Amino acid sequence: MFSEQAAATAQGLLAPPSAEPPTFPRVAVSGYSDCSQPFQLGERSFARQYAHIYAVRLAGMRPGLERRARSRWGNDVVLRRLSELQEGEKCCVVGTLFKSMQLQPSILQEISEEHNLVPQPPLPKYIQPSDELILEDELQRIKLEGAIDVQRLVTGTIVAVYGCEQDNGRFLVEDHCFADLPPPLPWSGPSSDRYVLLASGLGLGSVSGEALLSTQLLVDVVTGQLGAEGEQSCAAHITRVILAGNLLSQNTQSRDTINKAKYLTKKTQAASVEAVKMLDEILLQLCTSVPVDVMPGEFDPTNYTLPQQPLHRCMLPLASAYATLRLVTNPYQASLDGVRFLGTSGQNISDIFKYSSMDDYLEILEWTLLVGHISPTAPDTLGCYPFYKSDPFILTECPHVYFCGNAPHFQSKLLQGKEGQRVLLLTVPDFSATQTACLVNLHDLSCQPITFSSFGADSEDGDMELEH
Amino acid sequence: MADELYLENIDEFVTDHNRVVTYKWLSYTLGVHVNQAKQMLYDYVERKRKENSGAQLHVTYLVAGNLLQNGHFCHKVAVVREDKLEAMKSKLSTIASVHVYSIQKALLKDSSPLYNTDYDIVKTNLQHCSKFSAIRCAAAVPRTPPDAPQVPEPVQSPQRQRDPDAAINGHRVRAAKPPPQQHKGIMGMFAAKAAARPQDTPKEAKAEAKEAAGVSAANCKPPTKNTIMNNFFGKAAMNKLKANSVPEQPKEEKEVVKPSVAVAESESSPNTVAEKPGKKTESDRIQQKDKKSKTKRVDRSDDEEERDPENVKKKRKRIKQLLSDSSDEEADVPPSPTPEEERVPSPPPEPALKTELEPASTEVSAGGRKRKRKRVLKSRMFIDEEEGCMVTEKVYESESCTDSEDEFPKTKAPAPQEQAMLPTKREPKEERKNPKKGAAPASRANKQVSIMGFCQKK
Repeated sequence: MFSEQAAATAQGLLAPPSAEPPTFPRVAVSGYSDCSQPFQLGERSFARQYAHIYAVRLAGMRPGLERRARSRWGNDVVLRRLSELQEGEKCCVVGTLFKSMQLQPSILQEISEEHNLVPQPPLPKYIQPSDELILEDELQRIKLEGAIDVQRLVTGTIVAVYGCEQDNGRFLVEDHCFADLPPPLPWSGPSSDRYVLLASGLGLGSVSGEALLSTQLLVDVVTGQLGAEGEQSCAAHITRVILAGNLLSQNTQSRDTINKAKYLTKKTQAASVEAVKMLDEILLQLCTSVPVDVMPGEFDPTNYTLPQQPLHRCMLPLASAYATLRLVTNPYQASLDGVRFLGTSGQNISDIFKYSSMDDYLEILEWTLLVGHISPTAPDTLGCYPFYKSDPFILTECPHVYFCGNAPHFQSKLLQGKEGQRVLLLTVPDFSATQTACLVNLHDLSCQPITFSSFGADSEDGDMELEH
Repeated sequence: MADELYLENIDEFVTDHNRVVTYKWLSYTLGVHVNQAKQMLYDYVERKRKENSGAQLHVTYLVAGNLLQNGHFCHKVAVVREDKLEAMKSKLSTIASVHVYSIQKALLKDSSPLYNTDYDIVKTNLQHCSKFSAIRCAAAVPRTPPDAPQVPEPVQSPQRQRDPDAAINGHRVRAAKPPPQQHKGIMGMFAAKAAARPQDTPKEAKAEAKEAAGVSAANCKPPTKNTIMNNFFGKAAMNKLKANSVPEQPKEEKEVVKPSVAVAESESSPNTVAEKPGKKTESDRIQQKDKKSKTKRVDRSDDEEERDPENVKKKRKRIKQLLSDSSDEEADVPPSPTPEEERVPSPPPEPALKTELEPASTEVSAGGRKRKRKRVLKSRMFIDEEEGCMVTEKVYESESCTDSEDEFPKTKAPAPQEQAMLPTKREPKEERKNPKKGAAPASRANKQVSIMGFCQKK
């Protein structure tokens, strides 16, 4: 994207100093509106049980699923609740999936004394061939078998199954369907090239310093210090930077205070303190030049349960002095220049990855869009706030850009829906590992990864980059 | 030529100082646009190499462009050493930019010196880090202070902890935040004196004295006193301080007292002027000092801590000394003369302020009910007449600095009045003794009782 326009003046700075060099004004933000109010929690009370969230989820998605069922299996398809099932009758049931997995970590098993079990070490995937799917609705549950991919699906998905109940008490599935893509939003994108830079997993505070220069290069490109004139003028078209979580590294999470003796840790500071100071300086450099949205991630100092609340501005005294800094929730939804962005810091996708046979982050991302829910595994295996009025993770409108942060590689896909939806699916890679960020062009929903590298003790790493 | 100056500068940095000169570092150091810095570096390299082909000069370049990777184009930005420059350029299908990144004498093994140089120079120029950049953002303006939420009342105790900083800040943010500024100002005044004892800038003391006097004057009922204060300290400080609402004042007074207690050790003589209003009413509450002093001392400088054991006594003596100077009565013999003599104050403005301070102190003491914010869980036993039994209840009391005010609010009423009724020029000892008598049982429990308590003035 940048390269073609910038190529003309690429070598321009390999010359003696010329007249006053040009300064490019940053392209102004024409329209920004923050749509993440459903994810902002005010007063929080954890006194409720989690059953309510499933109830509202089912109630919220049932109408859409019944519509889909009718359009797929005919208008006269019989819609039944589980309590009304008759043996042998072909009907359609809408309910929540539950996958019973033997390997699923259970806190009750861990603390059970009669088993004398050592807690299970974390595995990359917890699926097993013996897993079973169970469909639940408001009152009953029934085991599923048949034309349904047990390995692929995860708990919490709302599904409509078509089949009949058998005499062994199980439901034989002939076909099933999900909520499919939500209705499209009208398109009112910009008429010229406007870019949004997405980066995640800056990983500050980690022991290794390799990614630090790359982070500095990223900041320099965005703020217009790096590059020849052509590149700088292209960089001036970057209207926003979104940092999608994991600004701090996982190393800052270790708590010596628990393991070590008190006298050894008395005067030590938490690793995250230094890392947050570094983050503040980096954000300050960015904020003086471009609007920045900062989403918290798994290792950031905010609450653990989804939706994660914004980082507090007192932690970032230098940067929060600027109005260009926006501390936002995870998940985050906003309308930038008429283009609707929706994304998370990746916890939802990586959780589904653990409990499903799907291996590709982009595939999982697309799947969450197709089932109409950002994070079906919450609250089962992913921490979630006990909602009871409505489930904010249900997708009601189809965003134009749907991203997830902290993916292992950069991947993108432009998805076209039947009702005219056009979504750019984007997995933003972990910057501390890949030194890659993403540039999205709002004009035509194209995107390009941007990689930074420096030279180290070993020779260049050009070809060792991302592979699909 | 004047333009050639930069060449000499770069030469000096690279060869003499043996620095790693990155374009960003040069841009900040010489105060030029980043692109100009890049061009300067290039120019220097070219000339140096032309003059002396064996020059000990290593250059790193920045190359950016499109790279075909895994079937899609990725924009690559890389810092490369000179020897790898051509290789990198050939890998890129389209080159977007090439320029000099840095010049240094030694061959760099890895890029950490580059990062460190840039980090250091940016750190020292954080406030205007986009000054020499090629992109200007119109939206990047600092938020106006009213946008920042006001510091609420409950935050006062942490505020007090931050007094040494607040003292300085209290000055600067005064215009921006009127309600908390008053706290900062007064607390800052007292706190800064303690902290600034080693530094003791007269300016600060004067400004603090201004604030203190402003406060006490603001507390004065009669407007004439305000004008006297105005004349003495200047209108500007007065107007700012008057902007505060009255309800703030009792709270402030309370805090005035508390920090002043801890600050009593301060030796700077001009400071005593400002401390006087607080001190006068303080004198009765000195016995409570140790408790509060400890909490206050946690975040004070070390030189205060070493005088912990003597603080209680010293403060008392000092105030006594002060007031005995100001009063016409005989001075009591202080138990420990030496520390006192160190700090014998003789502030010229003292007599002038006395008249202000007397009503100020009475005013302060009358409203001093709320001065102290320390809440202590205390057991209070009383006989319940109706039931005919003894009741012990644990209650959080607001303990203040004066002896008379460490009970329930109802007991405070007689005590301040007591003070108010005393003659204006009273002995410090007497002040101490009178409320001490009034609240002796409770106060004696946690105060160091002085032997002078037995001597009473008829």
